Amino acid sequence: MAAIISRDKIVEGLVNILGKENVITDEKVLKDSSIDRYRKYEQVMEVYTQPIPAAVVYVHSAEEVSEVLKFANENQINVVPRTGHSAIEGGLETALEDSIVIDGSTMNKVIKVDKYNMQVTCQCGVPLQDLDDMLREQGYTTGHSPQSKPLAQMGGLVATRSIGQFSTLYGGIEDMIVGLEAVFPNGKICKIKNIPRRAAGPDIRHIICGNEGAICFITEVTVKIFKYQPENNRFVGYKLDDMKLGFDCLREVMVAGYKPSIARLYDAADAAMHFSSWLEEGKSVLIWMAEGPAGVTEATEKGIKELMSAHPELEPVDPKILEKWFAGLNWGPEQIAEEREEIKATKNIGITTEVSGCWDCIYEIYKTACDRIMEEVPDMTLMGGHSSHSYINGTNMYFVYYYNVVDCPPEEEINKYHDRINQIICEQVLKYGGSIVHHHGLGKARAKYVHEEYGSSFYMLDTLKKAFDPNGIMNMGTLIPLRK
Amino acid sequence: MNILGCFKIVPDLDMLPEDDWVYDENFYIDVKYVKNMWNCFDESALEMMLKLSDLSEGFNVLFRFEALTIGNEKCDSYLRTLYALGYGKAVRVECNDDLRFRPELVARSVAGYVNKTGDKDVIVMGRQTSDGNNEKTPLILAEYLGWPCITNVMKMEPFDDNHIKVISEIDEGILTQVVKTPCVISVGNVAESYLRVPTLKDRMKLGKQPIEIYKPEDLGVTDELGQATVEICGLEKPDNGREGIIIEGSTPAEKALKLYNEYLKERLEKL
Repeated sequence: MAAIISRDKIVEGLVNILGKENVITDEKVLKDSSIDRYRKYEQVMEVYTQPIPAAVVYVHSAEEVSEVLKFANENQINVVPRTGHSAIEGGLETALEDSIVIDGSTMNKVIKVDKYNMQVTCQCGVPLQDLDDMLREQGYTTGHSPQSKPLAQMGGLVATRSIGQFSTLYGGIEDMIVGLEAVFPNGKICKIKNIPRRAAGPDIRHIICGNEGAICFITEVTVKIFKYQPENNRFVGYKLDDMKLGFDCLREVMVAGYKPSIARLYDAADAAMHFSSWLEEGKSVLIWMAEGPAGVTEATEKGIKELMSAHPELEPVDPKILEKWFAGLNWGPEQIAEEREEIKATKNIGITTEVSGCWDCIYEIYKTACDRIMEEVPDMTLMGGHSSHSYINGTNMYFVYYYNVVDCPPEEEINKYHDRINQIICEQVLKYGGSIVHHHGLGKARAKYVHEEYGSSFYMLDTLKKAFDPNGIMNMGTLIPLRK
Repeated sequence: MNILGCFKIVPDLDMLPEDDWVYDENFYIDVKYVKNMWNCFDESALEMMLKLSDLSEGFNVLFRFEALTIGNEKCDSYLRTLYALGYGKAVRVECNDDLRFRPELVARSVAGYVNKTGDKDVIVMGRQTSDGNNEKTPLILAEYLGWPCITNVMKMEPFDDNHIKVISEIDEGILTQVVKTPCVISVGNVAESYLRVPTLKDRMKLGKQPIEIYKPEDLGVTDELGQATVEICGLEKPDNGREGIIIEGSTPAEKALKLYNEYLKERLEKL
């Protein structure tokens, strides 16, 4: 599909709706807006292979979003909704010519902090870091703490079904959202009210949550808040030799019914990057944190320690070390700027891919994917990963890998390395029955596997897309791949 | 040409939160939870050596690299990385002491190793470490060896078997000179300071070579010679804060106007 009006006419139409100051056509901004961090190497080398959008527009209200979407829908212009621009699976790539990037970061007001009903309502462009810092000052927290916290904003976090480092207690964003407001391609503004629960038909919040901008534009989010009691936090950690044992330990704690906020297992390669000052080479690391009321955290710590005492192979780690390390884990603009320089200088690049699986297959997924990548992909400099979100029935695996880009122009890097590694991981996950996406979204990078991922239920996703976006203008290529 | 690169593994002090800048009775700050890293000047030095090899085509000079560090077994993974990058020998001087303010001991150990092996043409190292910041070790080493020391080096290039081209920063500008070996190279600020990363295959193939381990006394560093020559009397966190003024105003436009009128206008008019 291509827009039925020219690039100039698109810009003119947008200026008529939003005013000149909110329609950006600066070439550098447009190029940066044609990709996200999936094409990190292209971004660093400033080589842009995707169609450059016609404009980036800043919106200030649901009504403005509605007007822009109606305009795009009538003229069959692809739109890419975004807020914090921290996506890493190609969800923000403008896959079609003359797209419009609708940026909601200007919608950054916290509308209501409702401490009595323990919920906070904010516009889509509220940065999570700002929101949570503000809440923490008042003794509350969202409980949501993804590594992208310094960058990500509320709309994008809901759109990608994000998850935070304390998910084992608070859940993913889907467990935190209360009500939502979103705008659909025909301009219809829909609001789902804030209530504790209801059984009035399907939970339609989940048409919005995880839509990745391929169905609607999220303008307002209400999430639960929790008491912030860091003084009660308890850390428990162990060193170990064997990932299989590590997964078993995670499972034991979950199955026993404990609810730590953090449950993490690092393999030796990944652990070496984080814990080089105190960890011996070749060791994996298990970490838990208990959070909440003092009585609960004390009991959780005691319970985990009791369970782990059955494994003499585990060697305890000083909890203070873990607490300090965890405080410095997030990624902000400074780290991204530093990484950029390092990639430029060394041509060595680090990427992650996150998947999930039940307890009975997660180790096989981890092991066989790592083995295959090492065997089949050239120039690997690190292959490892960690589990960081556990459930009663399984856990995730966050693959972390680095490679040198050797004899390869920037525009070829994605084919030679990144996509190939992604493909191996997805193939192994699908072979063992896990999910190829745990919390970064399908984006465009993994959309090609959507049929295998969904199986017979693809019918439902496809029907949703066609029903809400019949003209195919919403972030095309995301969730469902473009027809070649 | 045999080149010895010397390096130190240091804590990444940027990761040390403000509240944890606390020292004990020995003036030691607890950094055990902070990630380790190559000292940045040494990292530049080690990469500079590899670049020298990259540039050697057509010069008919064969560069052989060795690496040396002083510390405990935590340093071994870094030495193995250098093996994987093509260094021919990795040496560690076993020492658990706090060496932050003991450049003489470090220089004596390196000099001891150089004298013991007797085949080094160039010693390359960073001018200072991020924890001690003495800026003395390469100079003292050169004195012990009786070799010249080129400071603030930014780049090295091949020349011939007995000379090396050295580009360094001096007060007046950038100095390029052809230096006769042997010499000590003290590496200063280098724009691209990151050490390249070896592949896992090279780690498997080359990274398992044995690390040569010496004790300071094996290198002639007696207790007397290795004694600290300075006593730490105090330690103070540098004040990195910058003076600033917060401009008050009800809207960004109002603040911008105030910024322009009160702080920028006059300066801009002078331009």
